[in-house]
Amino acid sequence: MTEEEEWSEEQQSFSYRQRLKAAVHYTVGCLCEEVSSDKDMQFSKQTIAAISEVTFGQCENFAKDLEMFARHAKRSTVNTEDVKLLARRSHSLLKYITEKNEDIAQLNLERKAKKKKKLEDENRNSVELAEAGVEESEN
Amino acid sequence: MADNFSPDSEPTTRTLLRRVLDTADPRTPRRARSTRSGAQRDLLETPSTRRQRSQTKMTARRRSHTAASVDRLARVQASGHLEEQTPRTLLKNIILTAPESSIVKPEAVVKLVPSPQVVQPSRRESSRGSLELQLPELEPPTTLAPGLLAPGRRKQRLRLSEFQQGMDWGHLSQEPRENADASSLTSSLNLTFAMPLQPQSVKRPGLARRPPTRRVVDVGTFLQDLRDTSLAVAPPGESHRTPVATVPTDTVLEDTQPFSQPLAGHSPSVHHSLPCPSPSGAKEVEGPASRRTWSSGPGLQNNHSGPGKPAQLLARKVEEVEALAVGFPNISSISGEDGVEPLQNGVGEEAEESMEKSMSVREVEKAAEEQGSARAEEPEGHTEVAEAAGSLGAIEAKEPEGSSEDEDPSASPKLAPSTPEFLRTRRLQSPEPAPPPSTAVLPSELPKRLSARIPPRPRIPGSRPRQDPYKAGLNHYAKLFSFYAKMPMEKKAVEMVEKCLDKYFQHLCDDLEVFAAHAGRKTVSPEDLELLLRRQGLVTDQVSLHVLVERHLPLEYRQLLIPCAFSGNSVFPTQ
Repeated sequence: MTEEEEWSEEQQSFSYRQRLKAAVHYTVGCLCEEVSSDKDMQFSKQTIAAISEVTFGQCENFAKDLEMFARHAKRSTVNTEDVKLLARRSHSLLKYITEKNEDIAQLNLERKAKKKKKLEDENRNSVELAEAGVEESEN
Repeated sequence: MADNFSPDSEPTTRTLLRRVLDTADPRTPRRARSTRSGAQRDLLETPSTRRQRSQTKMTARRRSHTAASVDRLARVQASGHLEEQTPRTLLKNIILTAPESSIVKPEAVVKLVPSPQVVQPSRRESSRGSLELQLPELEPPTTLAPGLLAPGRRKQRLRLSEFQQGMDWGHLSQEPRENADASSLTSSLNLTFAMPLQPQSVKRPGLARRPPTRRVVDVGTFLQDLRDTSLAVAPPGESHRTPVATVPTDTVLEDTQPFSQPLAGHSPSVHHSLPCPSPSGAKEVEGPASRRTWSSGPGLQNNHSGPGKPAQLLARKVEEVEALAVGFPNISSISGEDGVEPLQNGVGEEAEESMEKSMSVREVEKAAEEQGSARAEEPEGHTEVAEAAGSLGAIEAKEPEGSSEDEDPSASPKLAPSTPEFLRTRRLQSPEPAPPPSTAVLPSELPKRLSARIPPRPRIPGSRPRQDPYKAGLNHYAKLFSFYAKMPMEKKAVEMVEKCLDKYFQHLCDDLEVFAAHAGRKTVSPEDLELLLRRQGLVTDQVSLHVLVERHLPLEYRQLLIPCAFSGNSVFPTQ
């Protein structure tokens, strides 16, 4: 029974991987079509298949590395720092990622600021209302 | 007979063996030979009777040893023929021929040796064949005992006496013979002669001193070569030194471009190319005035030493000396002790290197078996060495003065001592013009000379952070690579390999730095290394770092790196 379960699990994981690979393949195909329409250059199917395989393998590597980096920093969650460490090889990628990171950080700050403002406003409103209510009651 | 060897304070193996051999006297070889030697038997008998009579320790020892030496020689002669060789006879020969320098006074053996020779010329010649080494070609004995140039057995005894005489007189004549012995291994008996020479050299203080002094002496010969090249002494170069001296040391030290600037550039290049501490050899270079005084005599002797190889040796030394000399004034122009120490180190290092080269050349000479010419050269070289050692001792006495001078931060005192050496080297090429033209000439000559000479020695480790020690390591790995390639490699290929290794190691270290920063640390820890290896796939869930350490590193590192190993059986779980 356990063997069957294991085998079925394996089958499931295998089919899962296949689906993932298919998804990657599809995405790579779309991207290559865009590039070919841009540069006026054709992509053969083998090329797209090769690129998708490589991408899939690299994704596996990235995932393992990210997990290792997170563990190295004694965290249990993968962080943007880990991602930056991963991307340090290519300068352009690192730059892009750091910029995006900064944008996201800014967004977060802005959101936090907005939330704070809202809270403060609400507080003020409630206070004013309370005061108004008190005044009215007094009156 | 065993009683004669009255118990020594230290029963050495030699004495034990002797006792064994003496007590169990062999039957055949002695008796077979004893028929021939009437006179020898008489001699043997009288010492043996003396032996039996003697009571006191010292006299017994002496007589027994002197008698034993005669006995030994006789036995050696007796058991000379190869056909009768047994382990016993070999041991006997070993004991007989190996003199006991610790116990026996040299004169005693020497006295005895000549006397039997006179008595037994015939016997020796008869049985000289097997034990005769390639002695006729040995000329050094002529310097010691010209009268004792008898062939065969005489030579064996001669050598013993000559060794002791030579040791007393401090000659190195033994060494060529040693090499002759080592080379002429025609029979196993020859081995026995090869062996005693070494313990002799160890026990004799005169000889034991030889190898260490050679190092020192080579630098002395450098200095002498320096003096040779200096025809006249003049202090004109000081004027051009001042601008160099005023260059701030920071820029000079930070200059990592070799040979980019004429003088200021050379000073750091040579400065940085000079290696780590060996202050002994280099201090000698510092004192200029002392050097001037020691100019002609030994230098001339060095130059006129001998044909061929010693000249080559000296030529090489002269080259290196010039390189050193060129370096010295530049370095001395740098203020402070930093200049002095690398200078010293550089001299020591280069002295050692050149000494190694010269030693290798000498060894090649010896191995080449050019006995006549080579051995004639070697003793000359050794005599030069001996005299140079004498002069060197005086130089060293004056060196501290020179070095203290150089450590003076002011530029001019340094310049004055340093420039004459520098100019001395230049004298070879151009007789001294007026100072300004010489200043113009010198910078242009300097780059060529230094560039010609220092790149051949890129391995001198120095204070330069990147270039020299780094390249030294890369050189090592590139050579390993070419070794494992099992094919000859082009120089360009080796360079490419070095470049790739360079980038690889750079990348590796950057990764380590980043990993450490990632964990919020400033120091690289083994965890970072483990992460690196994990990324490379060397460390997996099955194979841990400790397993790799055990597999690939030597045992000592295992104790350092693996906590279980160095914790001494007290291991606690991490919390």
